Amino acid sequence: SSQLSSLPLQILLYVNGIYYIFYFLATLAMIIYKSQVFSYPDDLLAPDLAVLFLMAILEMPRLYLGFKGNLTEAEAPLGLSLGLTVGSVVLSVYLLLWQAYVLWADVLLNALLLSAYALESGLKVTAIAAFVS
Amino acid sequence: PADIRDAAQARVRRAPAPVTDVARLCVCDLLVAQCDVSCCCDPDCSAEDFSLFTSCSVPVVTGDSHLCRQKAAVYSLDVEANPPERIFKLIDQVNPSIFCIHATNYEQALYLKSPEIPTPENFDQLLEKFGGATFSAEPDSWNLDTDAQNPPDANETSRYEYGVPVQTEEAFLRLPSPVVSSWCSDANPAGFLVNQATKCIRSVSVEKCDSIQALSMLFYINSSILAVPKSSQMVNITVQSIVVQSVNGMRTLLSSGDVLRLPMVLDELCINAVLGVNYHITYTDTGEIIEAAAAFVLGAISKEALSIEQSFQISFTQENTQPVPLSGNPGYVVGLPIRAGFQPQGYPSPAAFLFAALSSNKHSQLTILHSTSTQDCLAAQGARAPVLFGYNMISGCKLRITAAMKCQPLAQTLLDVLKGQSFPEYVASFGNSQAQDVLDWVPITQLHISEQMISHTLQSSCQIPVSLGIEVKWTKYGSLVNPQARIVNVTATVTTTTLKQLPSRRERIIPITSSVVFTDISSPAEPSYKAWPTIDIKLPFDFFYPFV
Repeated sequence: SSQLSSLPLQILLYVNGIYYIFYFLATLAMIIYKSQVFSYPDDLLAPDLAVLFLMAILEMPRLYLGFKGNLTEAEAPLGLSLGLTVGSVVLSVYLLLWQAYVLWADVLLNALLLSAYALESGLKVTAIAAFVS
Repeated sequence: PADIRDAAQARVRRAPAPVTDVARLCVCDLLVAQCDVSCCCDPDCSAEDFSLFTSCSVPVVTGDSHLCRQKAAVYSLDVEANPPERIFKLIDQVNPSIFCIHATNYEQALYLKSPEIPTPENFDQLLEKFGGATFSAEPDSWNLDTDAQNPPDANETSRYEYGVPVQTEEAFLRLPSPVVSSWCSDANPAGFLVNQATKCIRSVSVEKCDSIQALSMLFYINSSILAVPKSSQMVNITVQSIVVQSVNGMRTLLSSGDVLRLPMVLDELCINAVLGVNYHITYTDTGEIIEAAAAFVLGAISKEALSIEQSFQISFTQENTQPVPLSGNPGYVVGLPIRAGFQPQGYPSPAAFLFAALSSNKHSQLTILHSTSTQDCLAAQGARAPVLFGYNMISGCKLRITAAMKCQPLAQTLLDVLKGQSFPEYVASFGNSQAQDVLDWVPITQLHISEQMISHTLQSSCQIPVSLGIEVKWTKYGSLVNPQARIVNVTATVTTTTLKQLPSRRERIIPITSSVVFTDISSPAEPSYKAWPTIDIKLPFDFFYPFV
């Protein structure tokens, strides 16, 4: 029988994982840079760091469930991964719009991440539709 | 009515908004309603003023340079046009860096914080924070107790060093002094070996004078001084003497000088109020304080007085030494008295001890005649002024000679008037010369010059001294960057003149002068430098073996 697992989704998930590591380190480094160069009071620094670490914690199960769902052709993990993607999108939008200082590099990184999430979500929906039917 | 009050409160609470529009901001506009020179953004300048400028002191006004895109106001002068005119352009400035700020959600990031407007609610808190003479961002750093436990040198040995605050049981030995204004501040610590004298004003009220701590003797002597920093050895402050000043200013020394007298109200006067404290601290040469004494001046405050002036002084003496104020260390300092002394009788050789004159003993210093208002020489005996290094002085008096005056006693009196009771024989060559070092003392050369050089003047005719000129020759000694003044030669020249016998009932007035002149005889200095290092290369003996 034909293979239902989506190859583009697999590639995208793999690339997303690598890109996310780079994104996390770059954003953390930029927050440290901002706190040194600009005036960054503690009550604004804490939420930004919390959001970044929360996103990192969400990303790991999200990617794992995505891989598992796609490879085992099961729609439940894929659906759960889609739900976690929504949470990651919200956090990424926060970092894009509501950080204390949004640098141009922040805009680029988050825009790239959001477009990857959007493409991933589309491919996951297609894969779920393929698995269900 | 309540609504007017609310409106007033609302008006007060809103501070004027900060100006952030770059087109309206001008950093060089300092004078109000006047044109600032070379300030191209000044709105008070007209086109004629701009035509006189040569350049713009502020060419660009922008916000924070980290922003990715922002408006910038550019001012420049078009010198080609006739007359020169100012060009104002509003441009979009772009920061090409990838780390430029695209947006910020924190308003105070790019602008200075507006200060808090005092309201009835936050007034007390603001007063506590900013109401003192000094304030800092971290109030804990001004806590005296933590300062006492953290001296500047962390690994300091247990002794006092110059400038270190003298510690007491609680905090520091306080020497009230004026801070910022003339009002007394009790937070000034006395530094070790720093002789200080301060005067400040304290506000008083006669009704509460026994409750004002700073007017009572106990406030100044109740805490004991630590002998060495951070130790448990205490030195009590003893009362050395008490001088009572009456309301009309007359001072009397109390015989029972060690009885504690506390202020109290008597007949609308507050008596025994402290008007001055003089601390004398004795220390050893290892930096330990062994004795502390305080001399008080107590006075009376009348009912109308709202403030009194208090004076405080502290001086440090090393144990087993007499305090001799130096006139320089080592070279003389301009303005300090010249130290002079005698070789005591009975000591035959020059390598003997000199008795150095103490500054407090004015009669054995090098002094010159001090002019008085009466200008009469015979009445002026006793008024002398010390010779200060570097200050040329001239003084004089007038002598009325009558026929009845005899020559010899008159000559002797005039010599006393000119030279003083005890004219010294030696002058210290350095400001800190010790009495034991005989070679550091310069003998005073005495010269006698007679005004009449004509030799036919008979020896037996009367010669009276009319002027004394002291010439002090000094030189610069030591390094080029920090030369020290050293006295090399002192010459005292007495000029005499013949006194012609006057017919009876006639009087003559002759002027008597004395002067001190300081001459710098330093030879021109040549800087000397270290020799250039030479490179010493020698080839080994058998370098050219086997050819040589």
